[in-house]
Amino acid sequence: MPFTIVSQGTFTQPATAVNQNIPLPSGADYFKTINITQMGTTSPTVCVAGEWFGGGITAVNDGLRWRKAGSSAILIDKFSTSTASAGFTYVTTNPFPQAALTGTTITNANPAVATVTNTYSNGDQVIIYNAVGMEQISGMTFTISSVSGSGFSLVGLNASGFGAAATAFTVRRVSSSPVGLITAVAPSFLYVTAVSQAVGAQVTTSQQHGLVVGQKIEFQVPGSFGMIQLNNFNQPSSKPVIVASIVDTYNFTINLDTTNYTAFAFPASSGSPTTQLFATLAPAGQAATFNPITNVTTGYNFTTVPFRTNLFVPYMLVPAGANSPGGSAADVIVWQAFKMETGTINSPVPS
Amino acid sequence: MGFSTGITGIQNMAPELPVQASEDLLSTPMFNLIHSFGVDLHHAESYIGKTTRMSRFERLSTDGGQLDGSGIDPASEVPVRTDIDATMEIYAKSIVTNEQVVLWENSKTLTKFTALLGQWLREKEDLLMRDLFSSSVSYINATGGLNGDQPSNISLNDVNNIENILLGNDARSMLTSLEATLKFATGGVRDAFIALANTNLAADLQKVQGVLLKSAYPTQEGIRPEEYCSISRFRFFVSSKAARTPGISLLGNTVYTIPMYGLEAAAKIEQNNYTAVIGYRPPWVVSSVAQNSQLYAKFAIARAITNQNWISGLNVTTFQPS
Repeated sequence: MPFTIVSQGTFTQPATAVNQNIPLPSGADYFKTINITQMGTTSPTVCVAGEWFGGGITAVNDGLRWRKAGSSAILIDKFSTSTASAGFTYVTTNPFPQAALTGTTITNANPAVATVTNTYSNGDQVIIYNAVGMEQISGMTFTISSVSGSGFSLVGLNASGFGAAATAFTVRRVSSSPVGLITAVAPSFLYVTAVSQAVGAQVTTSQQHGLVVGQKIEFQVPGSFGMIQLNNFNQPSSKPVIVASIVDTYNFTINLDTTNYTAFAFPASSGSPTTQLFATLAPAGQAATFNPITNVTTGYNFTTVPFRTNLFVPYMLVPAGANSPGGSAADVIVWQAFKMETGTINSPVPS
Repeated sequence: MGFSTGITGIQNMAPELPVQASEDLLSTPMFNLIHSFGVDLHHAESYIGKTTRMSRFERLSTDGGQLDGSGIDPASEVPVRTDIDATMEIYAKSIVTNEQVVLWENSKTLTKFTALLGQWLREKEDLLMRDLFSSSVSYINATGGLNGDQPSNISLNDVNNIENILLGNDARSMLTSLEATLKFATGGVRDAFIALANTNLAADLQKVQGVLLKSAYPTQEGIRPEEYCSISRFRFFVSSKAARTPGISLLGNTVYTIPMYGLEAAAKIEQNNYTAVIGYRPPWVVSSVAQNSQLYAKFAIARAITNQNWISGLNVTTFQPS
């Protein structure tokens, strides 16, 4: 058989539709989606099916789009044309930097809000650089949220203490993982944007951290960020810091009393590019404990704790959106991946 | 660009005749494999799960401890253990060959393709370890260079910053010193930590204050071909596939990541009987008309940063944008 389905499946978009990453262990020469929900709707004026061709035929973030028009007639065009929207992206490496966009402002507020025309989605990972007036974040990776076509929020960055807003910046999407992970291997290092001075200090990261209680971490805080007491060689007995509680996806507390530590603060924008950047933390193992009374194991989760591959590649990025292959809220999408030689290779021995 | 079927056929394997084919194959390019030799090798047994745990006891406190003659014992201390877990993963690659290739156009394809798969095994393993280093370690942006970018090009100050971090965290060097000799224009090399850099950084490494190029080492005996130079307490090894991310510096240039580490900073874990598996599936198994045969290679690997304090590194750009 020269051309066959190697994998297929279905997903239902949640109340807020998100990009979907479809792992394709065998790769694909052809990939298609059908929006079962919208296909059966009269005059939805949305994308109802999409097609992607391998071998370099389909450009990144593109593909053939089947749209059901107001008259219920089917119009076929590309995702990149007419009502331009995000199309298929076949990803074979991770991270996967995409073309840079130029933005106008990043507010010095909590959270910081960036203004830039984009087709990004909630949970995407972006790197911001050349942030004029806010150079202290240039080169840092963020998870973005509250995404609209004209901007997004950086929930992991409280920029209210910054001297000024950014008046221009460049941004590049490097990952579209809906779970907010970017690096090839997990657990990954993270950028630290805030640490409180408190018993059980609260740490804020620029990305969704993905940590669990009991994981151990090591900080690397340059002198320009103040709180160098977090660095291992300043810690008694050089023990790694332990995650004590998870506040939310960007915040967690640690088993340290930082009350008398130097305050954590970003350096001034004017210090860049000579200021040493950034404050980071990296995974250092875990301290699992088992409570025989409650029968609860703390600090262990086989899906998040051990070192492992982070995001399976190759995968197909199926973006969410009414005119994109991933569809809108509550849409049911069926996808199929085809490959040419698989039927020949994997067919059983003829009897 | 056309579709790739994944099968080696006469369409994509040009005939060796009527031109004469030299019996000696030319070398298949292979990048420097630098990401594995400095890590610890551990071993995983079968039938007990795919997660390997490596454990370390942390130092005991050195505060107090003096007996005052009162007969009162000092407070005991509960040892703290840190567990580092890693998940075993399996990777594989195959080559399918149509019988017409062997019949009409290429001889000894099994031998040739077996060598290719063997090279793939080593290259893939190297890249997996590279990804571990670039994903799970904290790096410092170089700031001592003069290219005006952020991070800057590499400088001696930046290298010394990392040395301070590693020494401050009690990391141990792993390469022995090379004794100085009376050879002209050479210098001794101290016991050293390892640094892994992209080949694009070679020109910048040459310009770092105090650099000792490999050619100036007192001896070349036992020196790996991948080694490039020595700066401060680090010996630099280079590869064209070492970590880099294009377009993410302040000025939009490529950022290169240089892991720098000492003993027991990272680990590679082998699965028994799965370190390197190469196999052959004959045509009557692969193909219903017995025309395609298949060679495959598989290996299992788990990887982990075993001591985050004994590894750090630099993010750098090049002096001339690259």
